[in-house]
Amino acid sequence: MMRQLWAVLRKETLDHLRDRRSMFSALLMPLVGPALFAGLFTVIASWNREDKPLLVHVAGAQNAPNLVAFLERNGASIREAPPDFEARVRDGDLDLAISVPDDYGKDFTGGVPAALELVFDGSRNRSRPAVLRTERLLRQYSAQLGALRLLARGVSPTLAAPLALSEVNLATPEKTAANALGILPMFLLIAAFIGGMPAAIDATAGERERGSLEPLLVNPVHRASLVAGKWLAAVAVAWMALLIAVAAFAVALSRVPLQDLGVQLRFGPPEAARLLLVALPLALVAGALQIALALFARTFKEAQTYLSAVALLATLPAAFLSLAPLKEAAWMMWVPLLSQALLLGDVMRGEYPPLHWLLSSAGGSLAASAVFLFAAARLLGNERIVFGRG
Amino acid sequence: MIEVRRLHKRFGSVVAVEDVSFAASDGMVTGLLGPNGAGKTTTLRMLTTLLEPDRGSCLLDGRDVREDPMDARRRLGVLPDVHGLYPRLTAREHVRYFGELHGLAREQLLVRTRELLAELGLSELADRRAQGFSHGERAKVALARALVHDPQNVLLDEPTNGLDVMSTRAVREIIRGLRARGRCVLFSSHVMQEVGALCDRIVVIARGRVVADGTPDELRARTGRENLEEAFVQAIGSDQGLSR
Repeated sequence: MMRQLWAVLRKETLDHLRDRRSMFSALLMPLVGPALFAGLFTVIASWNREDKPLLVHVAGAQNAPNLVAFLERNGASIREAPPDFEARVRDGDLDLAISVPDDYGKDFTGGVPAALELVFDGSRNRSRPAVLRTERLLRQYSAQLGALRLLARGVSPTLAAPLALSEVNLATPEKTAANALGILPMFLLIAAFIGGMPAAIDATAGERERGSLEPLLVNPVHRASLVAGKWLAAVAVAWMALLIAVAAFAVALSRVPLQDLGVQLRFGPPEAARLLLVALPLALVAGALQIALALFARTFKEAQTYLSAVALLATLPAAFLSLAPLKEAAWMMWVPLLSQALLLGDVMRGEYPPLHWLLSSAGGSLAASAVFLFAAARLLGNERIVFGRG
Repeated sequence: MIEVRRLHKRFGSVVAVEDVSFAASDGMVTGLLGPNGAGKTTTLRMLTTLLEPDRGSCLLDGRDVREDPMDARRRLGVLPDVHGLYPRLTAREHVRYFGELHGLAREQLLVRTRELLAELGLSELADRRAQGFSHGERAKVALARALVHDPQNVLLDEPTNGLDVMSTRAVREIIRGLRARGRCVLFSSHVMQEVGALCDRIVVIARGRVVADGTPDELRARTGRENLEEAFVQAIGSDQGLSR
């Protein structure tokens, strides 16, 4: 039985490897995610970069020379605002502008809060970092002057600060990164499903459509060996796809300037290995389900439709989790797909999932695979499946 | 030795085989002749265990094929009506794959593959992919892989259908060789010339029933016709679906 399984596995693998076009797409597909990722993050990072000169357009700078000097001392480049600055900000030509009214100086010396306008368009993500920096500088200037005024009147500035609020963000830097990297597991799940798809269809619905299923079944070969050999061949391609996807992510993440996003992410070989450890068992279920479904499908085309739908559905748990995080529970680790989506997320957050969770996840996937493979072997014994249904 | 006893098979409301019985002995070539749709392929598929008869039984060398389907398949070499090759595998790989599934030892398989391919005139094509093969070349590869384990009983479904003269001759040579070595050969055809040229015994099937069974001479005598072709038409009741 093992010899037959091996013969089937070897033949199927050879057959798929020679199918250049579908191998190409199966192994190129996993690169899309990392490429998209690298592009997206490079752009976002370039918006956020702290060392980018802060350009502030000021209307009426002559009314507040001290303020302008303070801003310049703190790294801002000051420009005279054009007369139509509001329109230019609305159009996105300018990130922001400060408008200083003529009576700023009078109010200032009179001890009345001096009005000052910070003009920006809150719907533009691109300008948000610059706006935040400017706002922070203005508050700092205001607080500094306020403290000086109190001191001049012999009052301790601390009296004016009844609360000493400091933020303690419990998210590790990796956790913050994971929020942004939450879409990564989704790409790995897709790779696990897309990778083996052409192989699974070709070995089942394709075999029937080509008329090679009948001669194959006439051999004294156990249905279980046939199914297992075809399954492992599909799984092998899916594993290759996963390896490529994880390697590509590792490369992409090392290139993207994540620190510019304020994100410290450790992603080295150990993290890559952990991703694979979680994702590889998923490819087992994916392959088994694909073999059974494609065998059940009436035609090659029908099989393609089914399996594409399955690949799409497979991304749902990860998509859901990235929108609405779930509190992990032990039972979830037995559910294929859900467990992988959770665990991949954990790894991306820099957490170490406990070993027994990894084992339950792999065990649940193996059990589900066995069920699908059993169903597939049963289907192969059904004459209506073997010779097709009208 | 192949024996078929009172075989019945229906698909839904369509009766494909209705009470078919015949026997094919070792060292003989038995022809299953009948028009298209007579139930030849269905009968052969029940012999290969891929179809389950509704009633009746198929015996190979005296054993019911359903008792031990694995053993039955070991005793059988089958060339189905659709040859179903893998376009990306070479001729040699096709033969080797089936030999491995039959559990042949490596060395034995290497030798056997080379012999079979040579016998069928495929040596030059041995390491080319099936993709570009002609219909005749495909049929010969399918035949080679069906015979890789040197089976005692050989089922051939329309083996020379659509073949050119040279390929037909090669296939006939193979069939005669099998007979000479005491194998039991059962082949189906709707081509009378084919059956007349090769068969020691003819079973004529029409509309799922056996309508005549005997040697070519017996058939001629029974129907009172000199010409074998007319004897068939007489037996079947019409000349529909038969080729000359």
